[in-house]
Amino acid sequence: MALFTDDALGSWGAGHIIRTMFPLLVVLSVIVLWAGITLEDANELLDRYGLLAVMVPAMIGMGGNLGSILSARLSTRLHLGTTTFDPTDRLLWANVAAIFALAATIFTALAVGVWLFGIAVGTGLSLGQLLVISLASGLSIAAIAVVASVVATYGSYRLGIDPDDTTIPIVTNVVDVFGMVVFLAISRWVLVG
Amino acid sequence: MQPRGVFWSIYREALPVLAIALLGGLCSGLVLSGLLDSVADFPGLLVMVPVFLATRGNVYGSLGGRIATGLHQGLIHPRFEWNERLANAIIASLINAVGLSIVIGTLSWGVLTLLGREPAPLVVLVGIVLIAGLMTAVVMIGGLLTLLFAGYKAGRDPDNLVGPIVTTLGDVFGMAFLFLAVMIVEVLVS
Repeated sequence: MALFTDDALGSWGAGHIIRTMFPLLVVLSVIVLWAGITLEDANELLDRYGLLAVMVPAMIGMGGNLGSILSARLSTRLHLGTTTFDPTDRLLWANVAAIFALAATIFTALAVGVWLFGIAVGTGLSLGQLLVISLASGLSIAAIAVVASVVATYGSYRLGIDPDDTTIPIVTNVVDVFGMVVFLAISRWVLVG
Repeated sequence: MQPRGVFWSIYREALPVLAIALLGGLCSGLVLSGLLDSVADFPGLLVMVPVFLATRGNVYGSLGGRIATGLHQGLIHPRFEWNERLANAIIASLINAVGLSIVIGTLSWGVLTLLGREPAPLVVLVGIVLIAGLMTAVVMIGGLLTLLFAGYKAGRDPDNLVGPIVTTLGDVFGMAFLFLAVMIVEVLVS
C-alpha cells in the first residue's frame, strides 16, 4: 500500500494529509488553549450556576456544527465549480439565512431544554435568563461561524490549499474560542451584572 | 434551485440532525458538570477540556469532509470495502489524533506551569488525554463511516451530516471517555 508515497494518490496519501494537517492542528490547539484557560477562570461561576456547565458543550458544539455545515457546502461547491463568492450571489445569502434560522431554532430549544432540566434538579435559573443567555450567545456565535466559514474557504481557495483540509478545523476552533469567551461573558453579565 | 428553495432544503435537512447534536451536547454537558468534582484532584483538567473536545472536530471533521467530497466525486463508494484512499485517510487521522493528544497534555501542562498555577504532573495530564484520545478514535472512525455511508445511501447530502455527526459523537464519547480516563488514572495514581 502506498502509505507515505503520494505519487499515485495525490492529496489522499496519508503522508500528505499528516504533513498538511499536523502543524495546523498544533497551532489550533494553542489557540483553543485560550478557551480552556477562560473556562478554568470561570470555575467559580460554573460552581455557583451548575446549569451553565451543562450548556457549555452544546453551546460551542452547535457553533461548530453551523460553521461546518456552511463551509462543507462552500467547499464542495468550489470543488464542483459552482461557487463564485460574489456578494450579489443570492444562493450564498440563502445559505447564510438558513444558518441563522437554524441557530435561532436550536438555541431556543437549548434554553428550554436546560430550563426543564433545572426544574427537575431544582437549581433553577429563570426561563427568561436562560433564553437571553442562549440566544444572545448563540446568534453571536452563528455570526462568527458564518464570517469564519466564508473567510476560511475563500482564503484557502486563494492560497491554493484544498479547503477540505483547512476550513472545518479553522471554523470549529475559532468558534470554540470565541464561543466560550462570548458565552461566559454574556452569562456573567446576565447573572452577576 | 431558487434561493427560497435552497434556504428551506438546508433548514429541513439540517434541523433533525442538529436536534440530535443538541441532545448529545446536553448529555456531555451533564458529564462535564460531573467532571467539575475531579478538577480539584487534577488541576489543569478543565483547561484541557475545550482543547480535547476541539481535537475530535479537527481530526475527524476533516476526515468526514474529505470522505463527503470523495463520495460526491465518486472516488469513494459508500461500502466497507478495501479502498486505498480511504485507508490512507483513516490512518492519517489516527496518527494525527494520537500525536495531538500528547501535544495537548504537554501544552496544557507547560502553559499552566508558565502561568505559575501548579498543574497536575505532566505524566498524569498526558496519560488522561492519551487514554481518552485512543478510546475516542476507535468510536469516532467507526461511527463516522457507518453513519456517513448510511446517510449517503439514504439520499442525504453527506456535507450536511459531517459536522453534526462529528460533534455529537465527539461530545458524547469524548466527554464520557475523558471522564473514564480520569477514573482510570485516579486508580493508577492512588
